[in-house]
Amino acid sequence: MDQQTTKQWAFFRRKHTRLFLVLLSALMLYMGTASLMNFQTRSLLGIGSGFAWMATNFVPNQASLSLLPAILYQLWRTFLIGISAATCAGVVAFLLALMGARNIGCRVTLVRVVIRGFASVLRNVPIVAWAMILLFSFKQNDLTGFLALFVMNLGFLIRAFIETIEDFDGDKVLALKATGATYGQIVVQAVLPEVSVPIVEWLLYMIENNIRDATLVGLLTGTGIGFLFDLYYKGLQYGAAGLVVLVIAILVIGIELSASKIGRVIA
Amino acid sequence: MIQVTNLTKYYSADKASLADVSVTFQPGEVTAIIGPSGAGKTTLLRSLNQLIRDDLGTILFNDQDVRQLNRRGLKQVRRKIGMVFQNYNLIEPLTAIENVLHGRLGEKGTLAGMLSLYSQDEKDQALGLLSEVGLGDFCYQRCHDLSGGQKQRVGIARALMQAPDVLLCDEPIASLDPKSAMVVMDILSRLARTKKMTVIVNLHQVDVARTYADHIVGINQGRVAFDAPVSALDDWAVTQIYR
Ligand SMILES: Nc1ncnc2c1ncn2[C@@H]1O[C@H](COP(=O)(O)OP(=O)(O)OP(=O)(O)O)[C@@H](O)[C@H]1O
Ligand SMILES: [Mg+2]
Repeated sequence: MDQQTTKQWAFFRRKHTRLFLVLLSALMLYMGTASLMNFQTRSLLGIGSGFAWMATNFVPNQASLSLLPAILYQLWRTFLIGISAATCAGVVAFLLALMGARNIGCRVTLVRVVIRGFASVLRNVPIVAWAMILLFSFKQNDLTGFLALFVMNLGFLIRAFIETIEDFDGDKVLALKATGATYGQIVVQAVLPEVSVPIVEWLLYMIENNIRDATLVGLLTGTGIGFLFDLYYKGLQYGAAGLVVLVIAILVIGIELSASKIGRVIA
Repeated sequence: MIQVTNLTKYYSADKASLADVSVTFQPGEVTAIIGPSGAGKTTLLRSLNQLIRDDLGTILFNDQDVRQLNRRGLKQVRRKIGMVFQNYNLIEPLTAIENVLHGRLGEKGTLAGMLSLYSQDEKDQALGLLSEVGLGDFCYQRCHDLSGGQKQRVGIARALMQAPDVLLCDEPIASLDPKSAMVVMDILSRLARTKKMTVIVNLHQVDVARTYADHIVGINQGRVAFDAPVSALDDWAVTQIYR
């Protein structure tokens, strides 16, 4: 073997060894945690009967279909709250992200760090905790649900927007600066057109997420579709509860599909 | 005319990116700045409108030292200096005419500029400039869909929209095929001759510099290694610049 092939062989052997080690450690991680939790891999076999019970009981029946108008009404309200929370958070997040982005943001490092930290705190407190905290202050109503989603969205979007804006090429800012453009002009005429597509995509993703989360939030705050689910579930109306889940899934999938369409239109 | 005297710039304490540079750029001429990679060509060019702040020296433009100007004064000066970049730096989702109109932002109020409130005159002028660089038919095309050569001509039109006295071009043809490169260089030398602009071009190709420039400035390791009319640029001079 000449030197070239030896080198090649060694390179690929290193790659294969690394892949093998990664797979091995994943397996060991599973076995380790499973044994710590006393989790028997065999018990996965019992999952089948659980699903069977679920399938027979949660399938919507005649009685639950009569509840459809009420369910759709609550779904509609939830949808609106999800949109308004995401868009309100989007506006605030965009302004904060402009200040927090390294390339065109505030030159004072402390300000940027504070904005990132603020976003991180909002994001890392679980939404359930936010709902509970806000519940004490604002009682059971739509506003509480809205605020819980808003706070979560704000934390998430600030970070997403900062990353989007930081992808923007600083030389383009330079090009407009060279024409004598002001900061506001550069933001609206250069940054905004370049980041509008990813920003709209993030917003749509947030709305989709909000409808899923609204179930959980509503459960706690006693509003919207989550409240209905809770009501039916505790009232042993499993068929109706299943119907709630079904319409939520349909709505979320619908948004997901239209999101990619909308993305293409504005691109 | 731009008169640079003893310009010096340190990025790090031990190595000067520009060392004691003194050159004069004349209106109505194309001056090519040539030199090895990392010599300081970009640094020199961007110093002229103070996108890069220097450490020492003077830069006289219309009898004022641009290094001493306050924000307002600097903005005034920048309006009179157009810039053209290697990678065009257009706002690609916008159309050609919108990008050209950006050249007017320096003249407008912040709000009017943000809302794209351009006068009929300005729009006509932008159209005229696009025709002048041979892109009349492309004015409502999004820049994203243009070829490299076309993008660069939009970039030139944007700079011209400022009605500049000086055009700073940082390797304007480095990303272009030979034919588009010739089109762009032809436009630049025509501007120097017909509009009496001071055209300063960073170039990597010595033969292009020979063909299109009137004056050559050679930079090597931050120092001026050559500064003379193009006729004096013989092979020995080239080896000295690129040594
Ligand atoms: N922002 C910066 N920070 C630190 N050093 C820099 C910076 N910009 C440029 N330099 C250094 O200054 C020197 C001159 O750089 P400059 O970009 O002006 O070279 P150039 O002649 O334009 O090169 P090229 O032909 O590759 O574009 C280089 O040694 C470079 O490493
Ligand atoms: Mg350069």
